[in-house]
Amino acid sequence: MEHKKMKLMTSRNTRYYYLLALLPFVFLVVMYELLPLIMLVVDSFGLDKKPDVRFSLENYQKIFTTLSYQRAIENSLKITLISTVVGIVIAFLGARAAYTSRGKFRSVFLTVLNMTSNFAGVPLAFAYMIILGNAGVVKQIANMYGIGFLQNFDLYTSKGLTMMYIYFQIPLSTLLLIPAFNGIRQEWNEANMLLGGTNAHFWLHVGIPVLLPSLFSTLSVLFANALCAYATAYALLMNNFSLLPVNISASFVGDIKTKPKLGAALSVVMMLIMCVVILINNFITKKTTKWESR
Amino acid sequence: MRKGSKVSSNIIMTLVIVWLLIPLLATIIYSLFEDWTGIIPRGFTLANYQKIFTDTAFLTSMYQTLLVCVIPIVITILVVLLGLFVVTVYFPKLEKYMQILCMIPYTIQGVILSVSILILYAKGNTLLSGRMTMLIGAYCIIILPHIYNGIRNGMRAINMNMLLEAAEMLGESKLKAFFKVIVPNILTGITVSSLLAVGLLFGDYVIIRNLSSSNVNNMQKFLYQAMKRSSAEASAVFVVIMLITFAITAIVLTLQSRSTLEKIRNGGK
Amino acid sequence: MAYIRFEKINKLFGTNHVLKDIDLDVEKGQLVTLLGPSGCGKSTLLRCLAGLEQVTDGHIYLDGQEITDVVPRRRGIGMVFQQYSLFPNMNVRDNVAYGLKLKKLPKAEINQKVEQMLDIVGLSEKISQYPAQLSGGQQQRVALARAMVTAPKVLLLDEPLSAIDALLRKNLQIEIRRIQQQLGITTIFVTHDQDEAMVMSDMIHLFHDGKIEQSGTPEQIYTRPATKFAATFIGNYNLPAAADFNRAFHADIPGQDVAVRPEIITLGKQAPQAADGLLIAEGKITSHISHGNLIRFAVGFDGGLTLNADVVYENKLDFGEGDRVFAAMKKDLVIGL
Repeated sequence: MEHKKMKLMTSRNTRYYYLLALLPFVFLVVMYELLPLIMLVVDSFGLDKKPDVRFSLENYQKIFTTLSYQRAIENSLKITLISTVVGIVIAFLGARAAYTSRGKFRSVFLTVLNMTSNFAGVPLAFAYMIILGNAGVVKQIANMYGIGFLQNFDLYTSKGLTMMYIYFQIPLSTLLLIPAFNGIRQEWNEANMLLGGTNAHFWLHVGIPVLLPSLFSTLSVLFANALCAYATAYALLMNNFSLLPVNISASFVGDIKTKPKLGAALSVVMMLIMCVVILINNFITKKTTKWESR
Repeated sequence: MRKGSKVSSNIIMTLVIVWLLIPLLATIIYSLFEDWTGIIPRGFTLANYQKIFTDTAFLTSMYQTLLVCVIPIVITILVVLLGLFVVTVYFPKLEKYMQILCMIPYTIQGVILSVSILILYAKGNTLLSGRMTMLIGAYCIIILPHIYNGIRNGMRAINMNMLLEAAEMLGESKLKAFFKVIVPNILTGITVSSLLAVGLLFGDYVIIRNLSSSNVNNMQKFLYQAMKRSSAEASAVFVVIMLITFAITAIVLTLQSRSTLEKIRNGGK
Repeated sequence: MAYIRFEKINKLFGTNHVLKDIDLDVEKGQLVTLLGPSGCGKSTLLRCLAGLEQVTDGHIYLDGQEITDVVPRRRGIGMVFQQYSLFPNMNVRDNVAYGLKLKKLPKAEINQKVEQMLDIVGLSEKISQYPAQLSGGQQQRVALARAMVTAPKVLLLDEPLSAIDALLRKNLQIEIRRIQQQLGITTIFVTHDQDEAMVMSDMIHLFHDGKIEQSGTPEQIYTRPATKFAATFIGNYNLPAAADFNRAFHADIPGQDVAVRPEIITLGKQAPQAADGLLIAEGKITSHISHGNLIRFAVGFDGGLTLNADVVYENKLDFGEGDRVFAAMKKDLVIGL
């Protein structure tokens, strides 16, 4: 008894020495994650032209009233949403295909997904320029044989950009959904068949509802992935296409006059969009997983 | 009915594979030929590769890429290992705060992180304002979620507290036991997550563009500059980047399948 | 014709011949058990009847109609699986109502049938819970209700109790049997547990290596195993070589092996009175194991023969190790194989 008490005492005292081992982590997180974010928010209320102003909403007002910033938000949301929705649909079909098949072909499919899951940004834009740019291979072949829709396809537009975004969403989203499909038990479909249901009934009443939480969390990952993507767009169009990340970067780094405080406000707007998406996702997850409760 | 669904599965998988591979294969072929204006490329050549591998700027960018990948990963692994050890063993109540802190980078990602670090440090003239310091700091944060998940999942899988108590009864201090018993046991998990982190940093363009000076180039930055000069040369750079990326992925996949195999084998006993 | 008839059923998975020329009849209203070790083909036959597997060759008839090539949902069959078959996203009511909703019955009728069926399986108070909130046994009772509520022509039970712990399993065996008899529903039950088969069945078909080894009532199967495999699988038969047995007991049982149930052997310190049809031999107790209500003595005889004999345990051990005893049994209960 006495012995045990002694041991407890010493361990309680030495316990706090171990907090020292936590210091490097705290240092890293405070210096490079928390403080920068706090400064970003603080700066977003300052003004680039009047350094002595500490709190003003002018930047935000400007963002929501100036056409070019509205265009950036609009473009970002549009490309993000389209590439996310198309990505999830293809991922659903792809993951279901991987779920229903076995053997070699399936492992080839998985390997290709894994290999291309890191393929984005500058290399992706470059590869697309090689095949579909103004002097691109596919373009020239199309010219030679007069394939109209390919001849007229302009990569350097939001259409071309959306196509690339869809490209990098596919491997990511499919790889995220495949484990969810593996959670679908064969017995469920067999029970459905014996109770008089078709394949369509099964997916409508059981398959998709069971997958729904995974579908939504994948959606929010895809959304973040597309909204924050910078390199793909910049490599293709430089600063000539208005997108939130491109505009943010351009207000800090670049040849034209920088506007860091306005850029900070743009960053805050982008973070808020992310927060809204996360909140919606949490809400839906709660709604769609009530059956998982124990 | 079942046969039909199998056929449609194969069609879907084929389409996705083709769609994903076309840009890759096209660029690889492009890099190996002098002229590709018809359907069939003409004039096989390795000149593009010869050119980049004799270009000191390219070799420097490879070296610098390696440097800015490895340093942040080593730092982050050490920092997270120490932190997670203290928190799980001595202060389990802090665990959820640590998790939140480690997950934030998922949502802020490269652009916002790099500009906010720029705001905080760019104007000063201490060590913290060095371009390299800022870059490494940002890289540490961007890989934090992956490293954290890798280490924590590893710790969960081996029932850390029990192992530590066993080692303690044998007379080891907990911290020593941690590095002698726990770390070797979760090494595969750490390796996999650090390789994932390598993949992430290797593909970074925005952070290094915003934070580093013009004399620090990673391969992505080099590719960007090369593609403004000559697409033939850039295509060779592209292929090298892709080969490295694939090599990383291949190692991750083998490690993962081997550790699942081990699990199956151990489970069988 | 019988209510369900399997005719020359063959099933191959690749080159693996799982079912070999199976002929089997099931009468209406009976509970028939397919019993056998895992991998013997019993579950495959059940899944062929349900249409979840296609037979390679042969014909299946149900209620006078051939159903060999009919899709599962038109066969009118209810099935309970080993486990995890409930739809996790639906509560108990919606799970049970699923089949009725697909039949587009009026809502009031659905509710009434669901509640009635849940009452029968004793889960009325769990009606709005989700499968994850139920125990394994409760989940299987819901699965049973879901399978029966559409009034199928046949109910198939594919090892429904194998994932449930022993005590609860005993209760559920009795309960399933009660419900089956109450509703008079023709039922085919698959299990590898011989006790379970004995408790529940009207008829047992013993499967071995893709073939039916023996068919009969539980009593027939238990007391008259037809082959060595049947005797090994059922009960705790002693299976000595016939020559050894005949030498020790001065008997003339025909065949290669002899099957002797431990409980037909009586042990005594004195030799029992010799009688017609009574086999007697003297041996020595070599060991004993307590089974609670029974003590199983191993008795060694001259010539290396060892037999297990069960004695009902009252309040003391009658013999100790090394004691000499006389073993006696009725000759007509000894089976030559």
